[in-house]
Amino acid sequence: MSGAALLEQLAGTAWSVVLAVLPLAVLFLVFQVLFLQLPVREVTRILAGTLVAALGLFLFLLGVGVAFLPFGRIIGESLGALPQAWMAVPFGVALGFATAWGEPSVRILAGQVEEATSGSIRRGMVLVAVCGGVAAATGAGLLRIAFDLPLLWLLAPGYAFVLALLWLSDREFVAVAVDAGGVATGPLANSFLLALALGASAGTGGDPLVQGLGLVALIALAPVISVLALGMLVRRKERPKEATP
Amino acid sequence: MLALLRERLPEVLKAMAPLVGAVCVLQVALVQAPLPQFLQFLAGAALAALGMLLLFAGIDLGILPMGRFIGAELPRKGSLWLIAGVAFALGFAVTVAEPDVLILAAQVEATAQGAIAARPLVYVIAAGVGLLGAVALLRIVFGFPFTALVAIAFGLMLLLSFLAPARFVPLAYDAGSVTTGVLTAPVLLALALGLSTVLARRSAATDGFGLLGLASVGPVIAVLLLGWLQR
Repeated sequence: MSGAALLEQLAGTAWSVVLAVLPLAVLFLVFQVLFLQLPVREVTRILAGTLVAALGLFLFLLGVGVAFLPFGRIIGESLGALPQAWMAVPFGVALGFATAWGEPSVRILAGQVEEATSGSIRRGMVLVAVCGGVAAATGAGLLRIAFDLPLLWLLAPGYAFVLALLWLSDREFVAVAVDAGGVATGPLANSFLLALALGASAGTGGDPLVQGLGLVALIALAPVISVLALGMLVRRKERPKEATP
Repeated sequence: MLALLRERLPEVLKAMAPLVGAVCVLQVALVQAPLPQFLQFLAGAALAALGMLLLFAGIDLGILPMGRFIGAELPRKGSLWLIAGVAFALGFAVTVAEPDVLILAAQVEATAQGAIAARPLVYVIAAGVGLLGAVALLRIVFGFPFTALVAIAFGLMLLLSFLAPARFVPLAYDAGSVTTGVLTAPVLLALALGLSTVLARRSAATDGFGLLGLASVGPVIAVLLLGWLQR
């Protein structure tokens, strides 16, 4: 990367971080004056934390911009250029599984599910179900790009299935499962997979906005289905036991 | 501060390692990009890891307490409209700063070649999160059944997907799934928890569950509406 391009990226990233964090800081100060009236010590701590977060956001965006976005795109383009479309699927499955496995919030979710079901669904089962779901979704997402299928063909049945499972599951369990969608991919995996999908769609000649986007959405839907389905399976197994006390 | 960083370090490395490992394997097996480019990737990955570490520390130190204080103080002021308004404003402000959202918008702007600008897209997404975040918090106050609210939100989302132009559908769903990231999730949860504690409801711990799932429907609906209106 040339010096001028790097400088431009630095300035652009810095400006977007300022625009991103400013509303939060202003909002807090307005609350502070209007009704919070926290002691000065707390205010400095909160503002210092916000500053540290802004610095972190700057470095993160910069790092993602020079590393994960271009490389995700290159990998996506190579996947799209494979002689047979299905050959991208194993790569997608492996990538999906690996990223979800590393995600700390997936582990937190697994713990929450164990708690919400008072131990009848163990952490390990949730972990495998979520990672498997994400892996399948990534593979399916890459196939969709290669074969130029509309996203709704996958999403609409997926959400309809979730809606059906909602009525059959426990209230508390539903809430945990609905949250599961947000946890499967962190900011890093999201940006990387986004660039990868855009790269993979570049060779197909379709509208990149239609073909290239949507992978992240599929990945977010998968764990909701896995967790709800896991809940149904475990309940069905347990029911006979309850019937014969 | 240092203790915070040390505590968060394993988490960042664990989240990072599988992805970097997979890229290294793919570099050897599939892409074989030129060495300088690969080195640039490694350097950028280190930078991103450092950034994530600082971001997490900053959230723990400043942004999480901010959400908690506001969440605890709000219900004391009584007014429902105030609660809804603040929830909207806070949901909006944290989404605008969410790294995934910024990256998605920038990538979309680059891909759409000027047809969709990044900044307005970020604001539309943030308005969606704020709106559904406010609705979800009001649900806690009124004790409206969660399942029914989810069904309504998902139903509306699916209906709009068929009404909006096909071009906007993938963008809308991607926007929905990137929103509940590192900033939005803890702040909205802290807000809900603060609210539940003050309301002293039976299930303060579980009231927060489902909030994020609901909030992430907001941007989908917002972007689809934008597309529908622009037809």
